[in-house]
Amino acid sequence: MRDAFFASLYRLAERDKDIVLISSDTGAICLDRFKKDFPSQYVNVGIAEQNMVGIAAGMALAGKKVYIYAIVPFVTMRCYEQIRIDLCCMNLPVTVVGVGAGLDYSTLGPTHHGTEDIALMRSLPGMSIFSLSDSKAVDFVVRYCYELTGPKYVRIDRTGLPLVYGNGVCPDMKNGFSILKRGSDCYIVSTGRMTYTALQVAKRISRGAVNVGVIDLLRIKPFNYGKIWDTVKGAAGVLTLEEHFLTGGIGSIMAELFCRKKKTPSLKCLGIPDSFCRKYGTREYLLRYYGLDAAGIAVSLREWIGNGYSQNV
Amino acid sequence: MVYKSQRRATNGEQMIKEKESNIERVLQKKADWLRRRVLAMTVKAKAGHVAPSFSCAEILTAIYYGGYFRVRPKDPHWADRDIFILSKGQAAVALYAILADLGFFPLSELMTFTQKGSRLGGHTENTIPGVEAFTGSLGHGICIAAGVALAFKRDGKKSVCISLLGDGECHEGSVWEAVMFASQHRLNNLCAIIDHNGLSATDFLEDYLSVAPLKDKFEAFGWEVETVDGHSIGGILSVVRRFRERVSKKPLAVIAKTTKGKGVSFMENKPIWHYRIPVGRELEMARKELSCSCLKKRRI
Repeated sequence: MRDAFFASLYRLAERDKDIVLISSDTGAICLDRFKKDFPSQYVNVGIAEQNMVGIAAGMALAGKKVYIYAIVPFVTMRCYEQIRIDLCCMNLPVTVVGVGAGLDYSTLGPTHHGTEDIALMRSLPGMSIFSLSDSKAVDFVVRYCYELTGPKYVRIDRTGLPLVYGNGVCPDMKNGFSILKRGSDCYIVSTGRMTYTALQVAKRISRGAVNVGVIDLLRIKPFNYGKIWDTVKGAAGVLTLEEHFLTGGIGSIMAELFCRKKKTPSLKCLGIPDSFCRKYGTREYLLRYYGLDAAGIAVSLREWIGNGYSQNV
Repeated sequence: MVYKSQRRATNGEQMIKEKESNIERVLQKKADWLRRRVLAMTVKAKAGHVAPSFSCAEILTAIYYGGYFRVRPKDPHWADRDIFILSKGQAAVALYAILADLGFFPLSELMTFTQKGSRLGGHTENTIPGVEAFTGSLGHGICIAAGVALAFKRDGKKSVCISLLGDGECHEGSVWEAVMFASQHRLNNLCAIIDHNGLSATDFLEDYLSVAPLKDKFEAFGWEVETVDGHSIGGILSVVRRFRERVSKKPLAVIAKTTKGKGVSFMENKPIWHYRIPVGRELEMARKELSCSCLKKRRI
C-alpha cells in the first residue's frame, strides 16, 4: 500500500513541480526513486515532526502542495497542535500521510501503534480523513486528494494487502464509501484493512438465512451521513469494524448518526478496547487476540444475530 | 591637514548620517504613535497584550517602515513580497495597528479590536490582510518561516522571510527544530529576531528557565548572530538592511535587547503587566508618559 502511495505520488510529482514530499526520517525503498528523481521536491526534516508540520505549512503558504509522511502516531499525535493550528486553522493544502494503521507495527509496541488517529483527526475542523483498504484504493485517493483544497489525513498500511477492489470494482470517491456487498438483514461498516476481513465474514455468515452486506468506508470525514443512512436504515443490525480504539472511531461516528434518528438498526461496534496493546507477535496474532480476525468476528456476529440483535455492544 | 576631496567625503558621510538620523527620528515618532494606538485599542477592548507589544514597537516599526521590507498593502498576496511572521502572536495588537496604518485594511477597524463582530482578535489570524500566518501558540511561527524560506530558495526567489520571536518562546523545543533545519538548508533568506526582554508571562526567565546564552546557542546551531538594542530604530534598521545585502550562507538571528512594557515606567520589567490593561490613574499616567515621550522627541 505504501509502495502504491509513492508510485501514485511519483506520477503526480512528475507533472506538477509544486508537489513537495516531506518525511521525518521515515523511509521506504520505494521512496528512494522519488528522492533521486525529484530532489528539489523532497525534504527529510529529521526526527522533528513539529517542525515538519511548520515547514509544510510555510511551503504551502508559498504555493506548494505538500505531503508529509511518517508512522501514524508520530505524524498525528506528536505534532497534533501544529496540525490543528498550522494546517487546519490556516486551511492549507497539506496531506498528512500516516503509515502503519492500527496494529500494523505489531512487533514494536504501543509507541508505534496507530489506534487513536481517527478520533484525533476527526475532531479537527476542516480536516478530511481517508482510510484505505487496499492498494487499488490508494491511487484513487491520492488523485482525489490532489484536487481537494485544505488539509487531509490519509491512513495507510505498510504492506500490500489482498485486494478488495478487484474485478472492475472501483472505490466510490464521490460518495466516500463503497458498497462491496449488498445486504438485507445486516451491514458491516468497516474501514482500512478490516474491510477484507469483513468481506470474508459476510460470505461465511451469509451462507445461512441472513444476508450480510459490507460497506467500505473510504472517507471518514466528511462522513456521508445521508447516503450511509439511506443504505443501512432498512437493516436490522449494523456492525462497525475497525482497527482502532473503540473510543472516537467509526463505531462512535455511527452511534452519533443513529442517535439523531428515531428508529434505527441495532448497533454493534468491534475494535480495540480501551487499553494499550502490550502484546507482540504478528498483526494477525494480535487481531486474533482481540477477536478481530474473520473467525472471531463471525462468532460475535452469529451470537449477536442469534440474540435478535440485542443492544448489548 | 584635510584635503578637499576628503572634506567632501566627510560632508557626504555627514549628509547620509543626517538623513539617517532624520529617518530614525520619523520612525521613532511612528513607534511612539504605535504605543499610543496599542494603548487606545487595548483600553477600549479591555483585552490584549500591552507590555509584550511595547517591547517590540521599534522592531516592528523598523521592519515595516524602514523601506527594506517589501510588501504591497493594496496587493497583500503579491507573489514577490517579503514575508513577516509574528511568531510571538500575542503582539497581534501592534501588528494590526501597523497593517491598518499601511493601508492593508481600514484604520477605523482598529478600534473594534477583540470586540463583538470584529475580525481582529488577540492573536494574529492569517485571514486579516497583511497577516501571513495564524500564530499565538508559541514555537510555530519560526517553523513556518523556515518553510517559507525554503520554498523561496527552491523557487529561486529573491524574497526574504523575517520572523519575530519572544525569548520565552525559545523554551519551546520546536523553535530549535526549526533553527537546526534552517542552518542545514542554508536559509540565508531567513531572519529570526528575538525580542529579548527577559520576561515571559509570569516571571523572569533567568529565575525559572534561562535561555542564556542565546547568542552562543544560535551560533552553535550554525546561525550568524547580531545583537542590537531593540529600542534603537537605527540599530534594527541597519541590521535589516545588512540582512538583505549580505553574502553569508547562514540564516541570521538578531538578538534584540528590549524592555518589556517599554515606554510606560510602571509597566517596564514588571511580570504582572504581561496581560494587564491599565485603568484609572494608571491609564492617566500611561497616556501622559507616552505623549510626553513623543513631545520630548519633538524637541530634539
